Amino acid sequence: MPPSLPTILHVDMDAFYASIEIRDNPSLAGLPVCVGGPSDQRGVISAASYAARKFGVRSAMPTAEARRLCPDLVLLPPDFERYTKASREIMAIFRNYTPLVEPLSLDEAFLDVSGCERLFGDAVEIGRAIKREILSKTGLVASVGVAPSKFLAKLASDLDKPDGFRVIQPDEVRSVLDPLPVSKVFGVGPRTAKRLESLGVMTIGDLAQRERRDVVREFGASGAWIHDLAHGIDTRRVTPRREEKSHGMERTFPQDVTDREELRLALLSFCEDVAFGLRDKGLRGRTVTLKARYGDFTTLTRTKTLTAPTNLGPRIFTTARELLDKIPPGPLRLIGVQVSGLSDVRVAVQESMFGDLEPELRGPRGTAQPSRAKLERATEGIDKLRKKFGRTAVVRASLLGRDRLEGRDGSDATP
Amino acid sequence: MKVICDREKLREGLAVVNNVIPSKSTKPVLENLCLVATVDAIEILGTDLECSVRYRIPVSHGRGEGDLKEPVVRVEEPGIAVVPSRVTLDFVRDLSGSEVTLTTHDQNCVIQSGEDKCELVTVDPDEFPVISSFGDTPTLSIQGGNFTRLVNRTAFAAAREAGRYAMHGVLAEVEDGMLKLVATDGRRLAYSSVECQSRPVDRTRPAIVPTKGMQLFCRVIGDPLEQVQLHFGENQVGLKTKNAEIFARLIDGEFPRYAAVIPKESSNYVEADAEMLTRKLRLVANVTGTEARAVRMRLTPDNLELFGQSVGRGEAHARMDVAFKNASAEIAFNPDFVLEGLKSCESGIVKLEFNEKTSPGKFTLGENYIYIVMPITVDA
Repeated sequence: MPPSLPTILHVDMDAFYASIEIRDNPSLAGLPVCVGGPSDQRGVISAASYAARKFGVRSAMPTAEARRLCPDLVLLPPDFERYTKASREIMAIFRNYTPLVEPLSLDEAFLDVSGCERLFGDAVEIGRAIKREILSKTGLVASVGVAPSKFLAKLASDLDKPDGFRVIQPDEVRSVLDPLPVSKVFGVGPRTAKRLESLGVMTIGDLAQRERRDVVREFGASGAWIHDLAHGIDTRRVTPRREEKSHGMERTFPQDVTDREELRLALLSFCEDVAFGLRDKGLRGRTVTLKARYGDFTTLTRTKTLTAPTNLGPRIFTTARELLDKIPPGPLRLIGVQVSGLSDVRVAVQESMFGDLEPELRGPRGTAQPSRAKLERATEGIDKLRKKFGRTAVVRASLLGRDRLEGRDGSDATP
Repeated sequence: MKVICDREKLREGLAVVNNVIPSKSTKPVLENLCLVATVDAIEILGTDLECSVRYRIPVSHGRGEGDLKEPVVRVEEPGIAVVPSRVTLDFVRDLSGSEVTLTTHDQNCVIQSGEDKCELVTVDPDEFPVISSFGDTPTLSIQGGNFTRLVNRTAFAAAREAGRYAMHGVLAEVEDGMLKLVATDGRRLAYSSVECQSRPVDRTRPAIVPTKGMQLFCRVIGDPLEQVQLHFGENQVGLKTKNAEIFARLIDGEFPRYAAVIPKESSNYVEADAEMLTRKLRLVANVTGTEARAVRMRLTPDNLELFGQSVGRGEAHARMDVAFKNASAEIAFNPDFVLEGLKSCESGIVKLEFNEKTSPGKFTLGENYIYIVMPITVDA
């Protein structure tokens, strides 16, 4: 394999949630700040500042344990709206440099900057510029890894954390990888690591020296994968639009809502929007999930799979309403609907014979709904009007005069 | 009990009854069959509680010589024995003598032929379920071969996957001296009828007969020329042949209102050579995907083009002459559904009628035999 230039960047925000909290409340600076759920509700830590990490506090650790390790812990409840906002700003910075941005979560992304040299300089220069820009625009610190592949880039950003900047050149791959423990290989979890150790494989260098076929025999297909990675071979591309798995919308009410009619109207509004979004992307979905969170944070989901995939609001709503009837009454702080099992509209659909047998084709109180073909034709017309005159140009009568609920797209955590 | 029976006769009866016997049951007694010897016949009974069979071998004396010699069926001592079905059938089949003697001693049943014998442990006959018997009230009479043909024309379209209980059977109704069978899985539907003599009623309540029961009915009909009797009861349907009575518990459910699906008038009418259409469909279907298989049919005057398409594999194209008068039309079907229907097409020419590419396609596969297939639609 010819040595390829490092063109992949991995940018990882340092203690993202905790850093945002500290940025917005400077009096917290230097304190062991954690974001997470309260210990009396079996909460866990979602992010820990570096000051907290000194005590051994880690993310995903039960809050109660974190408190034992660090009695002076400052525990803050998560505020995802603020984190999402910051994440959007950061992702926007990435996209100023390259369209090839693959977000992994709110605070982490791969970037492929090959071909951007004439505009912005080489990958190392771009990495430095991005790191600078993030700090100046958001006041947050990122660690950046620059390497020829995704695996190495992620490893690089991790090696030099926090406030890191690490480049792995093709000719230093071996010297970087060899001394690292095998657990640093992407895909080697604690169990695989244990099995490797029992075979005398402690470091990535040990793994790379093994015969490939021995590793494959021992670990199957994943053996080939980890052996490749141990040699720094990783051909995965940076894919900006990963295939969507679901499409949904949910909303936390300003005040808990008990009235079912009110909840149904909220659902209707979501279903119309979700369906519109699906149509806009040329998708159809088959599984409808209702999510409901009660005032006490108990969260229920109810799911139903339709006989045929749909992207029509009324079809989704009929199912969502049916699911709402299945959850016990009580004040809800959040309600949402999600459609998954997505397929391209160009995928052929087997028509069914007895439409009236499908409950989702039945309207409110058992009234018959227009046939799919009719509804599709009408929807097509409505969509045209909405695209020309705005989303509120045509609304369902029952939603007239209501503010359109701005839901947070539950499926799309990344901006 | 002691009986002496022609081996082939006994084997045949055991084989018929064994068809209903479950190989594994939560009620182990059902894995047995019940032999009842009376003065004038040996009866073999079996059931899985959904379907049950009563097979009768009448006594005969073995008179005559050579090929004309009657088989021997003799009851020396009337009685009852409940024995494991599978073992009994296998043992009798593999015996080499021409006659078999069955005798009960205490808890055992001895099956013997010449110097070979086995001794099977029996089950208390009181544990064996009661099996209905036909009585004297047949509702209709139909030629065995006609009945089998009717079942073969329709039963394949019944639902197989779990979920829609009422579609897991074949709907049977009698109307105006015709026995009608309908089966559907919600995506295609087969409908066929045949004349029958029905007395004393000329109309029965529609009954949903489980597909398995229908297939068993066909299996007990040995002679296609024999008239068989059908009886539709409150919750079971019975069929009586010369040797056997068989009962199937009806499916308690609402069969979909299928009549509305059968198009009355169609704007597009195609006639095609059934064999050629089968060949061309199979050809292009090779290139369709595994999920949502679709073959597009594009019609122009007297011309049919077929396209099989799959995202990963490419596209296949075939053409054939047909009779078609309109300017153009297009429709797509799951080729498997159409091919399954064509398999039981009884005439050389198959007729296809449809209105739009989203409306049902009606295939005429023979006299009083139609097959409806819902199309596959693809958004542009």
